[in-house]
This record gives sequence, structure tokens and C-alpha cells, in this order.
Amino acid sequence: MVKKSKMLGLALSAALVFGLAACGGGAKETQGSSSNAGNSGTAAEVKAPDKKITITFQNIFPDPTDPKHQIMNKLVDKYESENPNIKIELDSLNTDQQKLKLKTQAASKEVPDITVVNPAAQMKPFVEANLFAPLNDMLDQNGLKDTFQEGLLDWYSFDGNIYALPDGNNIAVVYYNKELFEQGGVEVPTTFEEMLDVVKKLKEKGITPIAIGEKDSWTGSFLFMNMLLRTNGPGFLNDVLDNKKTFEDPAFLQAVDAFQSLVEAGAFQEGATSFDYNAGENLFKTGQSAMYFMGSWATGGIETSSVNGKVGVFKFPTIGGKGDPNEFMLAPGSAFAISADSKHLQETKDFLNYFMLNFPKEAFDAKGAVGIGQIVEGDFKAAGYSDMAMEVLDLFKEVKGGDLAFDNTMNPGTAQAHLSSIQNLFVQKKESSEVAKEHQTAYEANNK
Amino acid sequence: MNVLKVSRLTITLFVLPCLLIYSGMVFIPILVSLYSGLLDWNGIGESTFVGLENFKNLFFHDPVFWPSVRRTLMFAVFSMSEIPIALLVAILLRRFIKRPNFLVSSYFLPVILSVVIVGQLWKTIYNPASMGGMLNQVLIMAGLDSWARPWLTDPAVAMYALYFVALWQYLGYHTLIQFTGVSNIPNELYEAARIDGAEGFKADRHITFPLIVPIFKISIVLAFIGSLQAFDMVMVMTAGGPAHATDVISTHMYNMSFLSMKYGYGSSIAAFLVVVCLIATLIINLIFNSLEKRFS
Amino acid sequence: MNPSGAMAVRNETAVPKRRRFSVTKGIVLLLLSLLVVTQVYPLLWLLLYSFKTNEEILSGSFFALPQSPQWINYTSALAGGRYLRYLWNSFSVTSITMISVIVLSSLAAFAISRFRWKYGQAVMLVFLIGMMIPLQATLLPLMIIFKNMQILNTHLSIIFPYIAFSTPISVFILNGFMKSIPHEIEESAIMDGASVFRVYRNIMLPISVPPIMTVCILTFINIWNEYILAATFISSESLKTLPFGVNSFVSQYSVNYGAIGAFLVLGALPVIVIYFLLADKITQGMVAGAVKG
Repeated sequence: MVKKSKMLGLALSAALVFGLAACGGGAKETQGSSSNAGNSGTAAEVKAPDKKITITFQNIFPDPTDPKHQIMNKLVDKYESENPNIKIELDSLNTDQQKLKLKTQAASKEVPDITVVNPAAQMKPFVEANLFAPLNDMLDQNGLKDTFQEGLLDWYSFDGNIYALPDGNNIAVVYYNKELFEQGGVEVPTTFEEMLDVVKKLKEKGITPIAIGEKDSWTGSFLFMNMLLRTNGPGFLNDVLDNKKTFEDPAFLQAVDAFQSLVEAGAFQEGATSFDYNAGENLFKTGQSAMYFMGSWATGGIETSSVNGKVGVFKFPTIGGKGDPNEFMLAPGSAFAISADSKHLQETKDFLNYFMLNFPKEAFDAKGAVGIGQIVEGDFKAAGYSDMAMEVLDLFKEVKGGDLAFDNTMNPGTAQAHLSSIQNLFVQKKESSEVAKEHQTAYEANNK
Repeated sequence: MNVLKVSRLTITLFVLPCLLIYSGMVFIPILVSLYSGLLDWNGIGESTFVGLENFKNLFFHDPVFWPSVRRTLMFAVFSMSEIPIALLVAILLRRFIKRPNFLVSSYFLPVILSVVIVGQLWKTIYNPASMGGMLNQVLIMAGLDSWARPWLTDPAVAMYALYFVALWQYLGYHTLIQFTGVSNIPNELYEAARIDGAEGFKADRHITFPLIVPIFKISIVLAFIGSLQAFDMVMVMTAGGPAHATDVISTHMYNMSFLSMKYGYGSSIAAFLVVVCLIATLIINLIFNSLEKRFS
Repeated sequence: MNPSGAMAVRNETAVPKRRRFSVTKGIVLLLLSLLVVTQVYPLLWLLLYSFKTNEEILSGSFFALPQSPQWINYTSALAGGRYLRYLWNSFSVTSITMISVIVLSSLAAFAISRFRWKYGQAVMLVFLIGMMIPLQATLLPLMIIFKNMQILNTHLSIIFPYIAFSTPISVFILNGFMKSIPHEIEESAIMDGASVFRVYRNIMLPISVPPIMTVCILTFINIWNEYILAATFISSESLKTLPFGVNSFVSQYSVNYGAIGAFLVLGALPVIVIYFLLADKITQGMVAGAVKG
């Protein structure tokens, strides 16, 4: 019996190994042949009169159900059919993974032909390492530069050169659920003090006042920075960078106190720091929370949710009578940059030029034109954009400047310390002076 | 004492392929990491050599580092402490179940599942009651209101909530390994022991435990490695938050290298990890060598 | 031979104890089944999950059934035939890796555990160092190495590190096992004039089936869901593996949880089916190979 089962075991494992080997072998062969095909393909290309060029387009639109993914695919297909010698290889990754990949690629100077970066401070290290090609000449072609909103490209410029082209330009607004406001018997607040009152009243009625996805700690920071924008006015972080102010400035302390008063009033859902961006937003989209502070890019998602039609927007109110509600948190979007080492620099520029020229119209048709970075021709109302989208678009017209998010202004080391310091306020009450000190220490340690 | 005397060429043929690919892909990168640990480098641009500066900051000025080391070691302790339980399950399976394979396989399932799903599942369990969290709702129904809490966001308990998920996920994994060991013990031994009057756990004491030591060691080492590398699960569940309360060494390293863009500093954390691994491996080997001697 | 057989014999001979025994057995059975519930439930949960809308999933109710099954999740997951391509890529990468790991690490472990040479322990130590390296620490150096080898964006660029990351633990396990095999076995084989390689192939490998099975399983679970290396070194759509599929439903400001669930079900299904089909044989192989002497 021992022998029999042993033999059986051996036979089976042999069969298993053999089976796997067969598969493995097969895989190896196909892999070999496909790479061969690739090689012979490139070999043939060199000889052929119109050599086939492959452009790698790294992007952050991997979800086939995402309108941006559809727009991208449509434009790529169109371009490929108009330019048969060009092949666009899409490397679609989710945002976190794309950031990690780009940083790894940058370290070995292997940046893909087209990639995605965030504005200002976040793209600075890449520009300083000479990884991106200046796009000034390409922007002049076909009048591409004029399609961008005024001043937007400044966030992507260093020393007079523009290095990336944004697909979005958003502002931070407060979305609110009109039905829940009615249930809570509250009105849209115009001051922060009223807002606290609204929070308390909603809370009494058992309604979660504000939804937030604080596991992604930038969400809380975004809100906090809006409060700092009110208590200080624009340019606080730049003043710190210019050594005109420190984080121990009274305006900063006031913003921290105001933020803590929101937390203490129970403004946010329980366990907010374990909710990621989506889970947080979903609370608002399913009518479980009355307010949601977010960039205007959230408009599209809210329109397709169950609360569509019940949602309005308002500007973040003044704090202690300070601040101008028409100053917004500005969120120039992620942007496309071209590798300075691209083997097909000209072809890549031509493609991106085509892509950006056609992007606004496609986005408009896909009802995704709220908060894009370019000027859109067309009647939004007639095209069927919702009332809420129209309200958001109206707010855009009232923008009188503002601030960028913390991580777009400060270097990554300081930004990470800031994010965690603000996240901590959700779970722990702290003296505002202590929070300020954390910031100042981190800033000094990271800006030697 | 090993008996096979072979030529150098034979040794080379046997060892070199494995050693080569391993050195190229793991060992050299480790050395590069050790070197990067001496640099002030954001990972992209120019770097400057700063000697042991990073290590000095790491050991003396980083408020996140030592707590994250402590959590990682606790993680290891918890993971290792479940192995006796896995062994018990394995013994029970062998003793009481006619066809244990189905059960063993079922226990193993959570390991195959992607961490994305495991994270999502446990979030719905740990959420506050108002957000539909199952655990808290059960606690409240049982009248234990005071025990209910936001498990993943209360800094005092969040880390334990994470340990528990790892325990749950890897129980079947260790059970499978232990079960292999237990099944390998010839039945004749137990029969002989029964004739000598040793049955049940008495027999285990004299037969199962001594014979299972090598397999037990494998589980211990795997548990240790697993907890040092614990990354995905923490990232999915809490991303190290709130405010670093659940950061472990690997998430801290990731955070520094790629989010704060201090690649040199992150590398010094990696270097520290290598040393910890080395020491731990040596300790585990020492303990088990003496165990094996005692039992044999 | 099998343990339950022994149980039966024991029960028959120990009649007076029988009653007490069945109570214990009842408790044990209850415990073990309880474990089945806690360990298998996630799978069921995943299945339900894959039929839900995002809003249902995020609302977080634990037992709720989907209001109306969202087949669209599966359509999205299958869209463009990506699932089959990813599955095939994952399958070929995983099997090449597994075979290579087994061959390479068993050769090395054999040499370390059975050859008489000076540096055996030193080599083992080198392997031990790499056992616990988090792979995030190796991304940058590997990128540079692969760039110079010109294998970026090929399957080789993930197969190599997968093999390398799996070998330390495999050598460790196989070495531990091979050390325990009595020396008389190969002594007599060598006396009969067998070459070292034949000892390896005809004696060592067959005896080592159980630890090899363990190595297979470990290797498999480590690489089947691996995403960070794959996403970093693979850019072409045609070369991507299953975890890309899962992560492709995560975009900057939205996550399509239902489609992720559907993709995971589709990705896990073949694995679970194969595993359960082979489970008996795998464990049998493990047991059979290990009866020493």
C-alpha cells in the first residue's frame, strides 16, 4: 500500500511537472516568437520607406468605463488611422502606480515618450533633472497655446519654458445636498460660524454633515488649505518659502483652530481616516452626508449618482470675517509631458499637439468638460449639462485667484509631514501651536 | 557530514545558475541600496554623498522610525504565535477527519485572494456601526456598546486590527504547511506509542513535536519574512495612518523613498531591514538547532 | 496507512472509551467547520460583491445581496478580450517561474546539503540575506540592470526577479529537507556507479516531492497577484498580467469596485478550480514522497 500510493504520487507529480513544463515551454515559444516578430518587425521598419514609429503614452486613465479613457482611445485610434506610420502604445496605470513607475523610470533616464506629472513643486525635480522636453515650439503650432485658459500654463513653466500640458483646471467648492439641508432645517452658510451651526443642526438630526475620504490624506489638507486661504489670504506658503512668514504665524494658528472646531463639532463621518477618496465621496453620492468639499472634478461623478438633481454648490465661507469667498483653492490638473530623451521627439510632439487640440471638443461631447484646462466652445446648457454643472461653471467665472494645494507648493518631504500632521487632527485634539511647530520643524528639516 | 565528494566543476554547475540569477536580481540591488543609503538623493536628480548622516537621522531624529520597527516586530511575534494554533489544527485534522484535504484546501483560500479584496472585506467588518461595520453592530447587539469603536482609525487599536487580519489570512497557509509535516509522520510510530500506553496529546508530546520541528521552523521563518514585508495589506487598509499610527518599516520606507522623494533616506531604512533580517535569521537558526538537538 | 484508518482501528479496540471520544470529536468537528465558514466566506462575499454596484459595495453592509445582479461588471472585466490575454500572460509567467525556481533551487540545495565542500554554509548565508528583502527597495537598481540588459518591457524583466525572489526561501526549505535524508541512500547509489547528476535526478528529486510542492505553492501565491514589479517593468498592453486588470479599474478620482470584484472572480476561478482538482493529489504527493527509507 505504501508503495502503491508512493508510485501514484510520483506519477502524478511527474504528470504535473510535465504538464507545467509543457505549458511553460509553450509559453516560452510563443514569447520567443512574438519577440522575434517584434524584432523582425523593427528590422523591416528600418528598411521600409515609411518606417513605423511607436510612441509610448503613459497615462492614468486605465478604467475602460472612465470617459477620459474613452476620449483617449478615440483620439489615439483616429490619429493612428490618419498617420499609418505611427503606433501609440498606451501604458495605462492607476495614479499611485504611475507615480511610482515614473520615479523609477526617471532614476534610470527611461522616461516614456509621453507621461503624466502634477504641476509646480511636484514636477520640479523632473524638470531640474532635464528629463522633459520644452514644449514652447509645439504650443505655437496650430494655435494650441491659445486654447489654454489664461495663466494656467504658468504652473507648468520653469525659466520661461513650458514642460507639460494639463488636461484639467479645477477649483474647490462645497457640494451640498438640498434635500438633507431642508430636513435639517438649515440654509447655505455664508460664514464659517454659520457653517459650524449648520454642522451642529445636521448632526442633531442624525445626518452626517460632511463626507471626507481622509485615508487619502490630501483631501483633509485640501480643506485645511482653503481655511488657511481665508484666514491669511493667498500666498501663505510662498511667504514661508520666501522667509517672510513662518508656520507659527497667527493666521496659520487660526486656521488650525478653525479646522479643529469642525472636527470637534462632529462635522465628518466616524472613522474618516479609514475612508479612501472613493468611499468618502460615495457617502455624499448615496445621500448619506449633506456636504462634500472637493475639487470641481467631482461634478461628473455626482451627476451620475443617485443624488443627481438634489445637489447645489457654494463657495467656502469666510472665517471670522476674514477672507474673500471668490478666492478658491486652485487645482491645475495633472499634465502630459514629453521625455527629453524621446527617440521620436518630433512625432511625439505632433501627436500630443493633435491630442490636446481635439481634447476640449471630445470632452465637451462626453459631458466631461467641467473643469478642463482649455477654453471650450459650445453651449453647455443646450448640450444637456446639468443645473449643478452650470452652477459650478458659473463659480469659475467669479474666481479671483487663490492658492495651490500644499503638495504643489512645498517640496515632497515637507508635504508628507504636513499631510500626516493634518490627518492626525481627525483622531487627536492638539494645540494649534504644536501643529504649527510640527510644520515648522518639518519645513526646516526639508529645506536645508 | 556531507559525503558526496565532487569536482569543482560539478559544484559550479549545481550552484552557479541559481546563485547567478539570485545575485543579479537580489543581491546586487541590495548592495546598491546599501550604497544609496549613504546618499542625499531624491531619486531623480543629482546626489551628494553624506556618509552616515541618513542613519544618524534615522536612529536619533525620526519620530516615526522606532515605533514602526516596534510594530513590525510585534507583527512578527503575532504571526509566529499563530503557528502553534495552526499545528493544533493540523493535528486535529489528522486525528479526527477522514478526508482532510478538502478542509485544508478551504482553510488555504484566503491566501489566494488578492489583498484588494481582503482589505475591502475587513473594512466592512471594522467600520463604525453608523457606517454598517459588522463587528461594531454585533458588539452593540450583544450589549457591549463600550467595546465598539472605529477599529481602523483609533490609533490605540488600529494596529491590532491589522495584525488580526494577517492572522486570519495566513492561518490556512500555516495549517497547510504544518499538515504536510504531520501527515508525513508514519502511522507505525503512533501505533507503537499506543502499545506503550501513549495516546492523544501524550503521543504528540513524544512523537509529533520532535518530528515536526523542521517544518515548524519553516513556518516560523515564513511568518517572520511575511511580517517584515507586510506592505500591501497595510497600504490597502490604512496606508499607515492615521498619522503614522499603523506605519511599519516597509510602509515607512516606501513613504520616504517615493512619496517624500528622499530615496537615499529610504535606502538607509532598507539597509537597516537587511541587517535585522540577518540577525533574526541567525537567531531563529540558533534556537532551532538547539531544539533539534534536544529532541533528537 | 492513512491516519483515519488507524483511527478506526483504535476506536474498535477501545470500546469503553468510545463515548467520550465522540463528544470530543463533535467539539473538534464543530471547531473545524467553524473555521471553514470564516475562511471560505470571503469567497462567497467576493462573488456577491462582483454583482453589486459601487454604491452597494461602499455602503458596507456585510450580508446584503445585490439588488439586481450587475452583469455589466463582468462585461467590463471581459471587455476587449483583455481578461484572456492577461490570464494567459499570468499563466505563462507563473509556470515558467515555478519550473525555473524548482530546478534552480533544488540543484543549489542539493549541492549545499549533500556535497562536501568548504563554502556550502557561506552560500546558504548569502541566500538567507535575500530572503526578507522588500521588493520596493530593489525597484530602482533593477530598472537600471534591465535597461542595460535591454529586457525592459518583456516578460523576462518580471520572470527574472520573480525567480530570484523565490529562490532564497525555496533553497532554504529544500536544503532543510534534503539535510534530513539519510546518507546511506546516495552512498549506495554512488557505489553502484551512479553519477552525481543521476543521484540528483533519480533519487533526490523524487524523494523531495513534498517540499517541492510546498515551494510550488509558496512561489505561486507570491507571484500570481504581484503588481508592483509588473507595473514598473511592463508597459505593453499585450504583455500585461492579471493584476493589471484588477488595477485598471482604479482611476484618479474613481474606483470601479464591482468590476474589480468581477475581474478577481475571473482571475481566482481557474486557480481555485485547478487547486481543488489537484488538492488531493498535491497532498498525496506530499505524503507519499515523505515516507523515508
